[in-house]
Amino acid sequence: MILLDKLAYSSPIRKHSPALKSLFSVGSLLICAGFRQTFVCLLILCVMVIATLHFTNVSFRRYLHFMLGPFVFLCLSSVAILFFFSSSPQELVCIPLFSKYLCISQESFTHWYELMAVAFSSVSCLYFLILTTPITDLLTVLRRLHCPWLLLELMLLIYRAIFILLDIADAIQISQNCRLGNRTFRSKLSCMGQMLSVLLVRSLKKSSFLYDAMESRLYDGKIQVLEESYPAKPSEWIICILWLILCSGLCLIFF
Amino acid sequence: MKKSEKRLFILSLAVAMLFAMPTSTSAMHIMEGYLPMGHAIAWGALCLPFLVAGFISIRKTISQHRKTLLILAMAGAYAFVLSALKIPSVTGSSSHPTGTGLGAILFGPAAMSVIGIIVLLFQALLLAHGGLTTLGANTFSMAIAGPFLSYGIYRLCRKLKVNKSVAVFLATCLGDLFTYCVTSVQLGFAHPAAEGGVMASIQTFMGIFAVTQIPLAIVEGLLSVVVILALESYASNELSELAYSNY
Repeated sequence: MILLDKLAYSSPIRKHSPALKSLFSVGSLLICAGFRQTFVCLLILCVMVIATLHFTNVSFRRYLHFMLGPFVFLCLSSVAILFFFSSSPQELVCIPLFSKYLCISQESFTHWYELMAVAFSSVSCLYFLILTTPITDLLTVLRRLHCPWLLLELMLLIYRAIFILLDIADAIQISQNCRLGNRTFRSKLSCMGQMLSVLLVRSLKKSSFLYDAMESRLYDGKIQVLEESYPAKPSEWIICILWLILCSGLCLIFF
Repeated sequence: MKKSEKRLFILSLAVAMLFAMPTSTSAMHIMEGYLPMGHAIAWGALCLPFLVAGFISIRKTISQHRKTLLILAMAGAYAFVLSALKIPSVTGSSSHPTGTGLGAILFGPAAMSVIGIIVLLFQALLLAHGGLTTLGANTFSMAIAGPFLSYGIYRLCRKLKVNKSVAVFLATCLGDLFTYCVTSVQLGFAHPAAEGGVMASIQTFMGIFAVTQIPLAIVEGLLSVVVILALESYASNELSELAYSNY
């Protein structure tokens, strides 16, 4: 149903310690977003791309496609950061427009490419985490970090319910298309609205059934599941920590 | 060049870019790594009181009615599915709704803030919309500012005896627009313009994102009206379980 989730479950390193994978990717992510050193970000980007391609079943083409996911946001916001109006001509690019100039200055260009480096390297860290670790494994990590149980419980239930609802939504949309729905803008709007309202009714019914089923199995507010543990080797921990130290060290040197 | 001309130019530039792009636009999630760490932490801290209040209120209700937890979970999943679906759009490119305005009207804004942060986390982890470091900023704009405004407008309209459809439309549409304004402010503070500083930057961001966000807000408003009308006509039983029935 959700491509990224499927890929996470089929990752070759799915059965490795989720704590280690999270430390590796979130640690690198924090170094990228915290220090914002272009060189270190590019290093992290390269390592993450290689690691993701090596440790997941994702082809390079598909990976590129994923990286362009936040493309619209990126393009629109780069326009705001790169270009600005100025009363005097600037050094890099300058388009005279009415009585002013639309410019890219050295400064704004530097700011832009540094931002691109940080953004893309951060996204690559995020993708490594997403593509190797399913949500259920991440929840065990959060549990070990003492996240409040109510939040964890809600997250587990929401995660399960998402797939049920997506299935229903998909089926309704297919049957609407079979009956010549979704043809014009107007019919799209009414089809979508009807589908969403039916979806809400169905989801409330499902939650009611779920409550009955769980109540009859002595549900007292907490779902207890046996956790599978995948301990990592000490050498893997050491490599991961060395990598993080190396990156932060490089950041401090360049600072 | 006058200010209005400047805005017009930025707008036209954005329209040109929009039509040149085949990819789908998502609601305005700030991308991973886009905010400096200080800003990310500050926005996250700003969310905390709302989240704690929502958390406490949820825990209180759950100790009385355990079934609420499951309803809330379904509400969260519903909000996620709403944002994962493509809604019809005028420009031809597909876009995703935020869905938080509708959620706030149906489930109440306090619950929506807690559900919202979970949904945003899942959006980052399952759809790669938004990110982990920008989770705080995104939560503030999408799960707190927007829903609270939607809820306020809806209550106000109902008090003033405005037609229900109009009230729902105004609430969801303006809630969406407010979300986009808050996001522009967040981006403006993080990346001030070289000339004119923060204010100029906020204006530019608003002008550029208006192209995707204003049609989206209108479509989402219309959609919410259709949903609410359909629910009222044949699901009044189910609606009585939600916060919606209390006002």
